[in-house]
Amino acid sequence: MFKLLHASFEGTKAAFASIRAHALRSALTTLGIIIGVAAVITVVAIMQGLSHSITSQLDDLGSDMVTLRAYTPTNQQMLGQFNRLHHDDFLTLKSRVSQVEDMTATMQAFSMGSQVHYGRNSAQTQIIGTDSSYQNVVRVYPELGRFLSSSDDDRRRRVAFIGSSLIQKLDLPDNPVGEFINLSGDWFRIIGVAESRGSLFGFDQDNYIIAPFSTIRALNGERAARNIDILFRPAAGANPEQVQQQMRSILRQRHKLAPDDPDPFEFISAERMIDQFNSITRSITLVAGGVVSISLLVGGIGVMNIMLVSVTERTREIGIVKALGATPQFILLQFLVEALVLSLFGGIIGLALGAGIASFIGLMLPAMPEALVPLWAILLSIGFTTMIGVVFGLAPAIKASRLNPIDALRYE
Amino acid sequence: MARNVIRLHQVNKSYLMADEMFYALRNIDLCIAENDYVAIIGPSGSGKSTLMNVLGCLDTPTSGQYQLGEHDVATLNETELAELRNEAVGFIFQSFNLLPRATVLANVMQPLVYRLMPNKTRQAMALEALQRVGLADKTGHLPNQLSGGQRQRVAIARALVTRPRILLGDEPTGNLDSKTTKDIMALFDQLHQEGHTIILVTHEQDIAEHCQRVIRLVDGQVAEDIRNNQGAQLHV
Repeated sequence: MFKLLHASFEGTKAAFASIRAHALRSALTTLGIIIGVAAVITVVAIMQGLSHSITSQLDDLGSDMVTLRAYTPTNQQMLGQFNRLHHDDFLTLKSRVSQVEDMTATMQAFSMGSQVHYGRNSAQTQIIGTDSSYQNVVRVYPELGRFLSSSDDDRRRRVAFIGSSLIQKLDLPDNPVGEFINLSGDWFRIIGVAESRGSLFGFDQDNYIIAPFSTIRALNGERAARNIDILFRPAAGANPEQVQQQMRSILRQRHKLAPDDPDPFEFISAERMIDQFNSITRSITLVAGGVVSISLLVGGIGVMNIMLVSVTERTREIGIVKALGATPQFILLQFLVEALVLSLFGGIIGLALGAGIASFIGLMLPAMPEALVPLWAILLSIGFTTMIGVVFGLAPAIKASRLNPIDALRYE
Repeated sequence: MARNVIRLHQVNKSYLMADEMFYALRNIDLCIAENDYVAIIGPSGSGKSTLMNVLGCLDTPTSGQYQLGEHDVATLNETELAELRNEAVGFIFQSFNLLPRATVLANVMQPLVYRLMPNKTRQAMALEALQRVGLADKTGHLPNQLSGGQRQRVAIARALVTRPRILLGDEPTGNLDSKTTKDIMALFDQLHQEGHTIILVTHEQDIAEHCQRVIRLVDGQVAEDIRNNQGAQLHV
């Protein structure tokens, strides 16, 4: 035991001396591992940063908001049939479901396209028709002016509540309240501007126009007027599952579905989106991790290759130290430590490099959130490179320890 | 009569070469006493190198017994042989065999790395050995910054540093010019006078003349084993 400790200590010293003596070759040997680990850490850091930022942004949106919308299975879509939710569905739910804090209906302004004009300027945007409850459900607050009121909806007023980025896109005055914008021929008066929400996944979240539901429905006409989305927030203390279940049975009854028909609608909650998103990032991380493991394997083979060459090149040296009394175990340990240190070194450099690249990417792309290197990734890459060092260092180390001293001394 | 440090009894060494047995050593019986000064001579192929490898515990005999000090060498495994080499044998090679990237001091300290002792002690012992060969001022040099004679002195210091039972020289002056050869041989003579047991393998007659005893090998057998007082002329 004491002997082994002594041999480990001296072997480590010898290994470091040899690495220092061949600094360039050592660096090249470990390059494969550096690149491999750097790639893993970059991918993981970016994915983790993305996942962290999206989770927190979705949390901000309100994790308890639920969207109820029509759902059409793909095979039915191919036949050109689309399920829809109607305004009557919304009215029924609103009158019959009590465990809800607030509920609103939204409708896309299909017939109007998505062009908005102001003076000579025009912009692409998203036009949504909804009622005053939208503000409570989605938690959108006016920075300037006011949100829609119920009388706007009752009287089909042509008023618009706009997202903040439209001010710049349309070159509106700093306070655009009272200005008129044109939506495919119809004039709308701006009554308010929303607080900025920033961007999510790199998409601008402040490019939209909200107009009264009844106005949009009237302008849409009969053609595409039917489909709506219903947004709601379960009441505090209510069980969201139960609320959804209640809505489900009311809707199934209204749509006269047979017991084994699938739901023609679906509930989407922020929580579910977070789950889905996390499962996507998890699989991307896994796939990237798998690809990169292969590159680490190649890096390990690189270490083994160079170590084998190094053993051959140092045959005479090995012969000398064997003549001087180095035991086979000592030589084995020295070469094993050398491989281990090389690959561990590569792992640590790769770790730093990967973290650096990831935060550089985070800095360069404004839409990109800050990179995060989780502890498990650090431990995993260190552990993995250690394993590579041992596994791929073993063959050269055994070769070195088994050299016959007489032949090794004669080796030119 | 001094105690025997080396005792070979009926030692054979054979190799399988291209499906044919090659007998490098045949029934060698040999004793070497403490503080003896021995030259092993013989034509090439006579088994000099094989005998040297067996004496230096780099190789084990195919049959027979080899006693080095209190160790029965023929029964030892690789690890035990390495430990015995470290403890009992000091090698001096024709081509010096210094570690090229290590300093003079590190080269001399190298055999002590395999012994459990503080680094300070190793340095002190190495310095002492370098002083003995007159190179205490070259500790920081690399081998390629030294002349051939100086390199061989470093190698001798490295052999001395472990205080071995025997010093084994394999053509120690084979790569040196005649003046340096004289210096190195004078050093061996001194070491002998200080009590070291020295065995030199050589094919040079004037080297053998320095020794007290000359063993001539022919075809793997001891053909001649003579005491050589006052530098008698020898037939090599």
